[in-house]
Amino acid sequence: MSPSDAVMRDPGTPQATMGRPSDYLHAQHTLRSWFFTTDHKRIALLYLASITVFFVFGAIAAGLIRLCLVVPNGQIFTNDTYNKIFTMHGVIMVWFFLIPSIPSTFGNFLLPLMIGAKDVAFPRLNLLSWYVFMTGALFTMATLVIGGVDTGWTFYAPFSTTYSNTYVIPALLGVIVVGFSSILTGLNFVVTVHMMRCPGMTWFRMPIFIWTLYATSLIFLLGTPVITLALILLVMERAFHIGVFDPRLGGDPVLFEHLFWFYSHPAVYIMVLPGMGVITELVAAFAQKRVFGYRFVAYASIGLASITFLVWGHHMFVNGQSQLASTVFSFLSFAVAVPSAVKVYNWTATIHKGNIRLDTPMLYAMGYIGLFVLGGLTGLFLATLAVDAHLHDTYFVVAHFHYIMVGGTMLAFLGGLHYWWPKFTGRMYPEAFGRVGAFLIFVGFNVTFFPQFILGYLGMPRRYHDYPPEFQLLNILSSAGSTILAVGYFFPMIYLTWSLWFGKRAPANPWQARGLEWTTSSPPPPHNFAVTPRVDFDPYDYAIKAREVG
Amino acid sequence: MAEPVGIMLAEHFSTVTQQRQAAKLGLWAWLITELLLFAGLFLCALIIRIQHPASVTLAATHLKFWIGAANTAVLICSSFTMSGAIVLSRIGWRAGMLRFMLATAALGTLFLLLKGFEYYQDYVEHMVPFLSGPYVLAHDQASRLFVDVYFITTALHGVHLITGVSILLVLTWQASRPHFLTRHQNRIEVYGLYWHFIDLIWMIVFPVLYVLNR
Amino acid sequence: MARGDLRVLLRVLRVPALTLAALLALLAINVALGATLPFRNVWIVEAGVTACMVAIVLLVSMDILEETPLIRLFSSIGFFWLLIMFGMTLTDYAYR
Repeated sequence: MSPSDAVMRDPGTPQATMGRPSDYLHAQHTLRSWFFTTDHKRIALLYLASITVFFVFGAIAAGLIRLCLVVPNGQIFTNDTYNKIFTMHGVIMVWFFLIPSIPSTFGNFLLPLMIGAKDVAFPRLNLLSWYVFMTGALFTMATLVIGGVDTGWTFYAPFSTTYSNTYVIPALLGVIVVGFSSILTGLNFVVTVHMMRCPGMTWFRMPIFIWTLYATSLIFLLGTPVITLALILLVMERAFHIGVFDPRLGGDPVLFEHLFWFYSHPAVYIMVLPGMGVITELVAAFAQKRVFGYRFVAYASIGLASITFLVWGHHMFVNGQSQLASTVFSFLSFAVAVPSAVKVYNWTATIHKGNIRLDTPMLYAMGYIGLFVLGGLTGLFLATLAVDAHLHDTYFVVAHFHYIMVGGTMLAFLGGLHYWWPKFTGRMYPEAFGRVGAFLIFVGFNVTFFPQFILGYLGMPRRYHDYPPEFQLLNILSSAGSTILAVGYFFPMIYLTWSLWFGKRAPANPWQARGLEWTTSSPPPPHNFAVTPRVDFDPYDYAIKAREVG
Repeated sequence: MAEPVGIMLAEHFSTVTQQRQAAKLGLWAWLITELLLFAGLFLCALIIRIQHPASVTLAATHLKFWIGAANTAVLICSSFTMSGAIVLSRIGWRAGMLRFMLATAALGTLFLLLKGFEYYQDYVEHMVPFLSGPYVLAHDQASRLFVDVYFITTALHGVHLITGVSILLVLTWQASRPHFLTRHQNRIEVYGLYWHFIDLIWMIVFPVLYVLNR
Repeated sequence: MARGDLRVLLRVLRVPALTLAALLALLAINVALGATLPFRNVWIVEAGVTACMVAIVLLVSMDILEETPLIRLFSSIGFFWLLIMFGMTLTDYAYR
C-alpha cells in the first residue's frame, strides 16, 4: 500500500484492518461514490435509508389516525383531514415502504452475495431503478403532505376520477413512476438469478431467500405493467373524461377494480414472499438445522407467486361482479392456504429439535410465524363468500392485512435487518436492547390490532373517523397499543444508528450460519469475494439434519 | 469488407456467452411487461365490446381503416429491414447494416407521419370525443368509450415507436464508428428484438381496433 | 457492389424476405376480409390470421426457433399470463 492511500483512509478504521483490502463502505468516500455507485451493496443502503424515511412519514400518519380514533365523535380532525391522513398512511406504507422494503434492500445486497456473483446482471440499471423510485416517491410524498389526497391507497373509481377534489393526478403520476422502478428491479433480479450463479450453484443449492426473491421478481414483471395501465387510464379519466370507468357514459368502475387487483393482490405477495424467505434463513440459522422439506418450500414460493394471480376477485365479492366469478375466486383463494401452510409447517418442523438460540432475529422470526398464522387464517374467513358479506370493509379486514403486512413483512424486515446488520455494516447491534425492542414490538402490535378484529366483527367500518360510543373502549386499547408499537420502533432506530459508530466489530460469520454471504468478510469487499466461490455443498449445510420421510 | 464480430466483456460477467444471454433474457423480460401493458387496453376493448356491441361496431366503422392497413404494411416492411440489419451485423457487413438501420428508422417515421395524418382526419371528422368540440357520434354515448380506447392505445404505441426511432438513430450513430461490431454487435440483436416486438404489438392493435369489430 | 457481395446478401436475406412476403400476404387476407365482411362471424377467421402473424414474428423474426429453452419460456410466459388475465376477468363479464 502506498503512503498516499493511507492518508485517504477513514481515520476511525483500526490499525488491524489497515493492511487488508478495503471493504465496500470504505473503498471510496465521496458523495459522488455513493450517488453514482453501481455497487449493489451501496445501492441497497441507498434504498434502506430512503425507505426508512418514508416509513417514518407513514408511521406518523398511522399515529395520527389512532390519535383521532381515541374519541368516538371525531373531534380531533375534520372528515377531510382524516381521509387525507389515512390515504397518506396507506399510499406511503404500501407503495413506498412495503413493496420495495425487502426486495430492494436485502435483495439488492444479498442476491449477488448469496449466489456467488460479483454484482447483479445490470448494475447501471440497478442504480437507475433507485433514481426512478426516488423521483416518483418524492413527487407523490410532496403531493400527499402539501396538498393531500383523500381516495385511500386503492384510488377506486368513480370517487378518484369524478368526485374527489384533491390532488389525485400528481399522486397517481408518482405511483406510476415508482412502478417502473419495481419493473427494473424485478427484471434485474430475474436475469441475475438465471445468469449470474457461480460455478456449482444449482437451483436446488440456492437459499430459499433467493427462491422467494425470484418469485417476487416474476410478480413485479407480470403484474406491475397492468397497474401502470390502470392508473394511466385513471389519469386519463380524470383529465379528459374518457368514460371507460364512468357508468354515466356506459363505462364500468368494476373494470378498474379488476385491473387494479390483478396487480394489487399479487402485490401482497411482493410484500410477503421475501419476508417468508428471510424467515426461512433466520429459522435455519438460529436452530442450526437444515430446512425441513427444502424443495417443498422452494416450490411453494413459485406456487404462491402463480396462484396469487388467480384470486384477485376476492376483493370484489360485494362490488357487483358475477356470482360465478365470486365462487371461482373464493375457491381459488382457499387454495392459497396450501402453499402458505407448507411454509409454516416447514418452519415449525425446522425449529423442532434444533439447537435453538433466542437472539433478536429469532425472536422476530418466532413472532412472525405466530402472527402470520393468525393473519392467514383470518384471510380464510374473508375468502368465504357469506362471511365476507358481513366483514367486508370493516376493521376485521384492516386487522387481517395488518397481521400479514406488519406482523408478517415488518417483523421479517426487522429480523432480517438484525441478522444481516453485521454483514451490512461490519458492526454488531447491542443484543439486550434488541431483545427488548422485539418484545415491545410484538406486544404493541398485538394490543393495537387484535381489538380491531373484534371491532370489525361488531360492525365498525374502516375509513370512518367517528363511531358509536360503545366501540370506544376497544379503540382506546388499540390506540394505546400503537404507542407501545411506536416505542418499539424507536429502539432499533436508535441503537442500530448508535452501533454504526460504537457497535462491536463483527466477525465474518457471527451466527455460525451457512450460506455464501457469510464466507466473505463483514462488510464485504467491493466485488464481494476475493476468489469466485465454487459450491459443492447443499444449502443450509448445518450439523443437525432434518428428518424427512419419503 | 467484413469486420470481426464480437462483444466486449463487462467486468462483472465471466464469459461472453453469459453476457450475451443475460442481455437477451433481460430484454425478453422487458417485453413481457410491454405485452401486459397493452393487454390491459385489449381487455378494456373486449369488455366494452361485450357490454356495448352495437356502439363499438358503429365506432369501429368510423376509424380510418385504410390508413391503419397501410401503416401495418409499413411496419411489416420495417421489420424486414430490421431483420436485414441484424443478419448483416452477424456477418460483419457494417455499411449494409447501417443502410438497413436508416431504412428502418425512415419506415418508423413514415408510420408516425401517417398516424399523425390519421389523427388529423379524426379531428376534422369530429371523431375526438375527449376534446370539448362536437362529436359526430354524440347520439351514442357508449361509442365514445371505444374511440377513447382507440386513442389511448394508438398513442401509447406511438410513444413506443417514437422512443424506438430515437434509440435506433442513436444506435446508428454509435454503429457508424469503427470497431462497433467488434465490441457491441450484441446491441443490434437486442435492439432488434425490441423493434420486432413493437411491430408485433401493432399487428395485434390493428385487427383489435380496426378489423375485428367492423 | 461486387457479384460475391450480392450473393451473400441474397443468401442472408432469404429468410427475412420470405417472412416479409408471408406477413404481407396474411395482412392482405385480413384487410380483404375486413373490407368486404363476406360472412357472419368473420372475426373468427381474422383472429386466426392475426395469431398466425404474431406467431411468425415471434418464431422467425425474433429467432425463438433457434433460442435456448429459457428464452422460449420467457417469450411464452407473457402470453400465458394474458390467458389468465382475460379468462378470469371473463368469469365476471361473460356471466353478469
